[in-house]
Amino acid sequence: MKFGIFYELSVPRPWDREAERKVYLNALEQVRLADELGFAYVWAVEHHFLEEYSHCSAPEIFLTACAMQTKNIRVGHGIVICVPEFNHPIRIAERAAALDIVSGGRLEFGTGRSATWTELGGFRANPDETKKSWDEFVHCIPQMWMQERFGYEGRYFSMPSRAVLPKPYQKPHPPMWVAVTTPGTELDAADRGLGCLGVTFASFAEQEAKVEEYRRRIKNCNPVGAFVNEQTSTVNFLYCHEDDEVGIKTGQRLLGTFNYLAAQLDMAREMYPTKSYPTAGLLPALRRQASGLGDGDRIPQGIAIGNPERIIRELKKWEAIGVDTVNFLLNAAEVIPQEEVLRSLRLFAREVMPAFADPRPAQAAAGGER
Amino acid sequence: MPKSGKQDVQSLLSRVPVLQGFDTQPWDLRGAQILPAIFEIAEEPAEFLLPPALHPSIPPYATFSLATFPDSPVGPFALAQVRVVGRAGVRPRGYLLGAYTTTEQAAVALRTRWGFALELGEIAIDQRHDRIIGQVRRGGEVILRLELENPEQISGADVAFLDSLHLVRVQQNDGERPLLIQVDPEYVFHSAQRGRPRLPVFQGAAWGTDGRLRCTNPVSAVFVRCDTDLPKLRFALDPLVEGARGRVQIGTVG
Repeated sequence: MKFGIFYELSVPRPWDREAERKVYLNALEQVRLADELGFAYVWAVEHHFLEEYSHCSAPEIFLTACAMQTKNIRVGHGIVICVPEFNHPIRIAERAAALDIVSGGRLEFGTGRSATWTELGGFRANPDETKKSWDEFVHCIPQMWMQERFGYEGRYFSMPSRAVLPKPYQKPHPPMWVAVTTPGTELDAADRGLGCLGVTFASFAEQEAKVEEYRRRIKNCNPVGAFVNEQTSTVNFLYCHEDDEVGIKTGQRLLGTFNYLAAQLDMAREMYPTKSYPTAGLLPALRRQASGLGDGDRIPQGIAIGNPERIIRELKKWEAIGVDTVNFLLNAAEVIPQEEVLRSLRLFAREVMPAFADPRPAQAAAGGER
Repeated sequence: MPKSGKQDVQSLLSRVPVLQGFDTQPWDLRGAQILPAIFEIAEEPAEFLLPPALHPSIPPYATFSLATFPDSPVGPFALAQVRVVGRAGVRPRGYLLGAYTTTEQAAVALRTRWGFALELGEIAIDQRHDRIIGQVRRGGEVILRLELENPEQISGADVAFLDSLHLVRVQQNDGERPLLIQVDPEYVFHSAQRGRPRLPVFQGAAWGTDGRLRCTNPVSAVFVRCDTDLPKLRFALDPLVEGARGRVQIGTVG
């Protein structure tokens, strides 16, 4: 099993001049350390208007900074919003290719469509259409990367034949993923040969069934790109401390803060009835994970909080059901001091990672060549 | 941390319903028609419409809802409500600003059992092919006209309604206490239509908004036929305590 870190870049009020800069700089310091410690991935969300919860609206900039300050860690869009009001697909392809080049072929390309009215309404995007536009984009973008020139007449965008430049450094293109939150998207992922990013489910048993179905179904997929990216990952929280009690207490602060901030957003389903959003999306899923029943109700099942022994025990459960990668949220609204976050990362790398040693290099499982 | 409401709750208490307790028997309300619409609203004035217990949503929004109930323990009645959405902790809820109902018997029951602060008015829902129109009159004057344009069928499974919070005074052994009580009906949808909302008439003064509710962006409107209820009261909040810390499980209230 591999490990990554995952950024929302949450910024608590008051928003003085230094508040956002401090969060960005702290995150970059964590990424540099994670790279040294052998973490495989750093992922950054694309969110807009999500006050305090996420100030990460330009992930390509943040990820470029990450790439420039590290050597090995792979930089992941988790995700790029494939909705035309947010991003034109040509610009998505161009920016991603440029990031792949400057990172030396370390890009993981996650896709998705946003789940909040705060964002969809802000861009005046139609929630009914986002799944369809996502589908069109994920089919076209790899073609823009692989074909010297690309032309297209579609529903959400059209273009005469042009060379979309630059081309990605990884050949034929970076590994592609989709954020899987709405039930059934794991099947969309499988059918298109995409990796499952950030899968969160209510229970291990439920997750196990979904992973099994994904693995079974992807064998007969029609990949949108040149290769199949058969990988499943999940989002988790991390706070590791030698003293289990200290770890749990601090971790509860992290879970509670994340939970509270995430809850303030207006989900698409809450405000705009549509079959396109049958569940409330990633944030409530994470909230459920952050507040689900677990060890004496103190720490939810499967959460990487506590001492190394406890964390190993919980992560082994994810490994047992076939999850390839666990990506960790390290902080929320800077509720954990930076020194403690760095200390937790070091302890995790020293005491927990060896229990999951993976001889494979952290690279695309199938196809991406650097 | 998230912003909190700035409403002067104390200044409202003389006008809110008084509950003698929480021993409210539920009402089954079959065959209801409900026309709710959501509009984003201007942020700063809206903060003064929410009590300190509630965080404004991001972005802030309000719901306007008209409903008819052909069958209830007090006979047929209709109900119109204007609510602003806030969160107590994590769950969004509609905080009632103003309401109207159509019969005296309904008004008494709704006020004393579920804490609706309401007046009598005329409420009508007119279903046409090109639009569904809801209208509320008080003393012959239209104080709210809500339209759902271009209705299209959707699945009832895609519809989600918010629970309500009502500001009340509750009689306790040691005197009165202000509380926000939660009213959380259940719904079984038989049909649902969705369209774009319009609000050609909204007289804020008639709905207790103090001119602070300014719609900025129409979001959605639905029209449903459903069975619903007015349930037993289960939760309450201290209106002055920020977030979920003021939560009270009913049964522990004196």
